[in-house]
Amino acid sequence: MNNTVIWNIIRFFVLLALQGLFLKRISDGWVTGSLYINVFLYPLFILLLPLQTPRTGVLLLSFLMGIGVDLFYDSPGVHAAALTAMGYARALFLSLYEPREGYKLNDKPTPAGLGMNWFMKYSASLMVLHLLVYFSVDAFSPIYILGILLRTFFTFVSSMAAVLIFVFIFMPKR
Amino acid sequence: MRGLLQLFAAYGNFLLFGFLELLALILVVSFNQRQGAIWDNSWGMATAALDQSADWLGEQWALRDELIKLQGENIRLMEQLDNARYSNAVRQDTFLKDSTEQLFSYIPANVISNSTIGTANYLRLDKGSNHGVRPNMGVVSSDGIVGVVRAVTPHYSQVMSLLHRETRIKAALSNSGYFGTLTWNGKNARLMQLEAIPKHAVVAEGDTVVTSGYSQLFPYGLPVGTIKSFDFSGGGNFYNIQVMLRNDLNKLRYVYVIENEMWKEHKELDEAVNE
Repeated sequence: MNNTVIWNIIRFFVLLALQGLFLKRISDGWVTGSLYINVFLYPLFILLLPLQTPRTGVLLLSFLMGIGVDLFYDSPGVHAAALTAMGYARALFLSLYEPREGYKLNDKPTPAGLGMNWFMKYSASLMVLHLLVYFSVDAFSPIYILGILLRTFFTFVSSMAAVLIFVFIFMPKR
Repeated sequence: MRGLLQLFAAYGNFLLFGFLELLALILVVSFNQRQGAIWDNSWGMATAALDQSADWLGEQWALRDELIKLQGENIRLMEQLDNARYSNAVRQDTFLKDSTEQLFSYIPANVISNSTIGTANYLRLDKGSNHGVRPNMGVVSSDGIVGVVRAVTPHYSQVMSLLHRETRIKAALSNSGYFGTLTWNGKNARLMQLEAIPKHAVVAEGDTVVTSGYSQLFPYGLPVGTIKSFDFSGGGNFYNIQVMLRNDLNKLRYVYVIENEMWKEHKELDEAVNE
């Protein structure tokens, strides 16, 4: 149990640093100067929190993570608003996708723990929600709805790819 | 305190979520130039719209005051008309200007419910016994007669509309003075029937029908409508006259309740006759 806490703390800082120092530069056009791809990997921290995490804790951690990313992106509140919404929705989607026999004590919200099918549904739903809220708050006006939807779609593809790569590298199936 | 704790136990996470989102959005509009500009702009538009609706409301109130003033002026004018005054003159040469007394006075009222469907229609007015309305008072609008008060409460009164199968109001032809009884057959909200005009009266389409003044409800000469058509079907000695109402009871808003200042004397006489 203690081990899990430590691992999550480490994951918090690794994902925060990865997002703020590395992935941000991709969206800024680091490679060629014209490559505008958003890759959001940091929501994975909320996705991978243990199933028993109290909802209050999830909310506070997602706000904290969002503010942390905002510090790097120089956009106070935008990532925090989106990730807090996702953190609140996590419990709803967890109960929506609950397996017939319920969650077991040792279940982990990973492909290895609950199956690839389950993880795809779970992570895709929450990622779409997160990106929708993020780009809505970023645009801050309903007149940009087409731009919001397009950005959500493209960022969803690249971010989900990053999430799956990360999960398979660091949490391979035993 | 205990209730507050229970509230937090039940909705704590949702409240925390709302609080964090609010915090995030405050950060967004405070420290991001673009979002801040959009926010300021929208907020400005919202307050401007609010200002505008407040102005509009103010104007409505001003109009209300104006309306009440105008109703009061109308009443003063109507009460000075000949048909609203009782004349003490017995011979032409004794006529003096101050030999008349107030016979009819008016109480302004607003219609708050109305119906013209069915055969027994009622209106409700926003004035009642507190304002001097009593049962059996006539009700008119600026276009003509409307009905008769049937019941009152301190603040409201119930008026039997002209469009009621039991309506019996004396009405006269304004050019010849022959009088009959106005009834309603329940079919058309603009058409009433004038009965008991004798066959020897001269009647033409377009003739004006007015109140006869033979009741204590309405003064003489208030407009009712014009004759639309007439015939002798049924073979009696009386005309069947269709009267087109001047008043459209479908769109009634402001009315006046007529008070007969001498109703007590009429009552005494009625009782004296009945004894």
